[in-house]
Amino acid sequence: MYICILSMLYIVLALGLNIIPGFTGLLDLGFVGFYAIGAYTAGLLTLKCGAMGPPWDILSNYWVIIPLAALNGALWGILLGAPTLRLTGDYFAIVTFGFSELVVLVIVNEMWLTRGPMGLPGISSPGIDLTFLYPITRFFFENPIVYSFKGKVPFFYLILFMMIATIFIMNRLEDSRLGRAWFAIRDDEIAAECSGINIMRYKVIAFAISASFGAIGGSFFARWFGFISPVSFKFWESILILCMVVLGGMGSIPGVILGATVLVSLSELLRQVLEPWPDLVQARYALFGIILILMMRFLPAGLIPLSRVKRVMSTKDESILQTMNESFFSVSTDSKKLSKDR
Amino acid sequence: MFIQQLVNGLTLGGVYALIAVGYTMVYGIIELINFAHGEIYMLGAFLAFTFVTMLNLPFPLAVLLSISCCALFGVILEFIAYRPLRKAPRLAALITAIGASLFLQNVALMIWGGRMKTYPKGTIPEIFKSALFYMGDVKVSLLQYDIISITIFLMFCLHILITQTKIGTAMRACAQDKTTASLMGINVNRVISFTFAVGSGLGAVAGIIVGVYYNAIFPMMGYTAGVKAFAAAVLGGIGNIPGAMFGGFVLGIAESYGAGYLSSGYRDGIAYAIMILVIIFRPSGILGRKTVVKV
Repeated sequence: MYICILSMLYIVLALGLNIIPGFTGLLDLGFVGFYAIGAYTAGLLTLKCGAMGPPWDILSNYWVIIPLAALNGALWGILLGAPTLRLTGDYFAIVTFGFSELVVLVIVNEMWLTRGPMGLPGISSPGIDLTFLYPITRFFFENPIVYSFKGKVPFFYLILFMMIATIFIMNRLEDSRLGRAWFAIRDDEIAAECSGINIMRYKVIAFAISASFGAIGGSFFARWFGFISPVSFKFWESILILCMVVLGGMGSIPGVILGATVLVSLSELLRQVLEPWPDLVQARYALFGIILILMMRFLPAGLIPLSRVKRVMSTKDESILQTMNESFFSVSTDSKKLSKDR
Repeated sequence: MFIQQLVNGLTLGGVYALIAVGYTMVYGIIELINFAHGEIYMLGAFLAFTFVTMLNLPFPLAVLLSISCCALFGVILEFIAYRPLRKAPRLAALITAIGASLFLQNVALMIWGGRMKTYPKGTIPEIFKSALFYMGDVKVSLLQYDIISITIFLMFCLHILITQTKIGTAMRACAQDKTTASLMGINVNRVISFTFAVGSGLGAVAGIIVGVYYNAIFPMMGYTAGVKAFAAAVLGGIGNIPGAMFGGFVLGIAESYGAGYLSSGYRDGIAYAIMILVIIFRPSGILGRKTVVKV
C-alpha cells in the first residue's frame, strides 16, 4: 500500500515535471523547489491557521489548501520563469537548480516560520467535514457528516483520484492548442516564433502549470506523511523525478507513468534488500546515476518513446536532414554546424 | 574584520577559481556543463587522503599521484560518458553529466562512508597552521599565504600553457570552431581529452587544498563546491578562462563578507543568488563576450 501511494504521488510529480523537458524541451533541475513550496504551504496553513479559530481555520481545510498550494506553486513558477525562460537550455537548468537550493536554504534558515532543520511535525490528516450541509443532510443522517482520514486507505483513494485527474489533464493538454504550441517550441523555437507563437507566454504558462503540479504533490506529501523537513527536498529528489521522466520517455505520458512506477518500485525494493547493510543504501542513488548515463547512451527516447514526434532526444534527424540536403541539392552540408546553429 | 574577511575570501576564492577553470575550459570547447567536475575535486581530496593513510606515502608524492589519477579519471569520464554523446542534443549530454555526478558521489559515499575524514596529524607540518603575519589585528597563516600563492602560480602556468604552447593554441582553436580546427590538422579528440585532464588535475589540487585548509573532507563536498565554482565560471563569463579566475575570487570574497556581515546560514545562498542574478541580467558574464544566436 505504501509503495502504491508513493508511486502514484511520483506519477503526479513526474507528469508535472514532464511538461517542461518533455513538452517544452527545457531542462528543469529545480522541480523539488516547487514540491517543497507546496509541502510547506500545506504544512504551515494546517498548523498556523488551524490554531487561529473560526474565520481563518477554513484555510486549514485540505480541500482549500490544494488550490492554494497550486496557486502558490504557479506564482513562484511565474516569478522564477518570467525573467529566466528566455535563457538557453543549460543556463535555464542551472537557474532552476539554484532556485531549488535557495528554497531549501530559506526553509533551513527561517527558523521562526519553518522551524528550520527540525521540520514541521504533527500535520493533521485531512478530513471531509460536511457540517455546513447539515440542514440538508439531516433528512438522511442523524449526525453531521464528519470523516477524518485514518490509516492509508483514504489517502490511497485521494492520490488515486489526483493521479487520474492529472493523467486526464495531461492528456487534454497534449492535444490542446497549448500543447501543440509547446511541441512546436520544443521542436524548433525559431520556426515556432515565426509562426506567430508567443514563445515566452507559452513557456511561462508551461512552467506555472508544472510548478503547480509539483506544489499539489507537495501538499499531498505533507498531509499524508504528517511531517516535513528540509531533508526531504534535496536536489537529488529533483534528479530522481527527472530520472523517471527520462527513463519512461520524455513527453510520453504512458512512458512517464511507467518510468515513475518502475523507479519507485525498484528503489523501494533495493531499500529493503539493502536493509542489513546501511552503508550500501547509497547504491540506490549510484544506480540512478548509471541508469541516467546508460539511458542517454543507448535509449535516449526512453522506454515508451513518444510516437508522434520522435525528435525530442533522437539524433537521427540530423543525418536524415543531411542526406536530404545532399540528395536534393547535391551539396554536403555540415551536420554539426547545422545542429549548433539551431 | 574587514581585511581579515578579505584574506579569508581570497583563500576561498582561489579554490573556487581553480575548480571554475576546469568548468570553463570544458564548456569553452564542447559546450557541456560538466556536472561531475565537483566530484572529481572531491575525489582528488579523497585519493590524496587514501594514499597518505593506506599506503603511507609522503604527502607531496600522494598529492602528485592524486592529481595524476584525477587527470586520468577526467579523461576516462569524457571517453565513457561524454564522447558518445557529442553529436546528441545538449539536453542528453547534460543529463549524462548529472548521472555521472550522482554515480561518483554515491560510490565515494560507499567507499569512504559519510563521515568527515581528516588528514592524519603530521601530514602538514604544524608550522603552516600557526599564524604567521600580523598586520594590525589581521592574521594571515602561512597556509593561507601558500594557498593564495599556489593558486596564482597555477593560474599563471595555465595562462602560459594556453597562450604560449602548441597544445594551448590548439585548444583555443577548438574552442573557436571544432570543424575548422580539425580541417587544419588538429586532433580534436586529443585536445578535448587534454582539456579534461588539465581541468581535472586543477580540480584535484583544489580538493587537496581545501582538505588541508579546513582539515575535513567528506564525499558530499564536491556538490556545493562544484555549484559555487560553476557560479564563479558564470560570473566571469563561461568559456572565458581569465573570467573564471576573476569570478572565483569575486565569489570567494563575496561569500566571505556575506558570511561575516549578513548571516552565516545563507553562506551558500549568496553564491546561488549571485549566480541567478548574473545569469538573468548578464548571461555572458562580466568578462564574457555576447554570443549571437544564428538562425
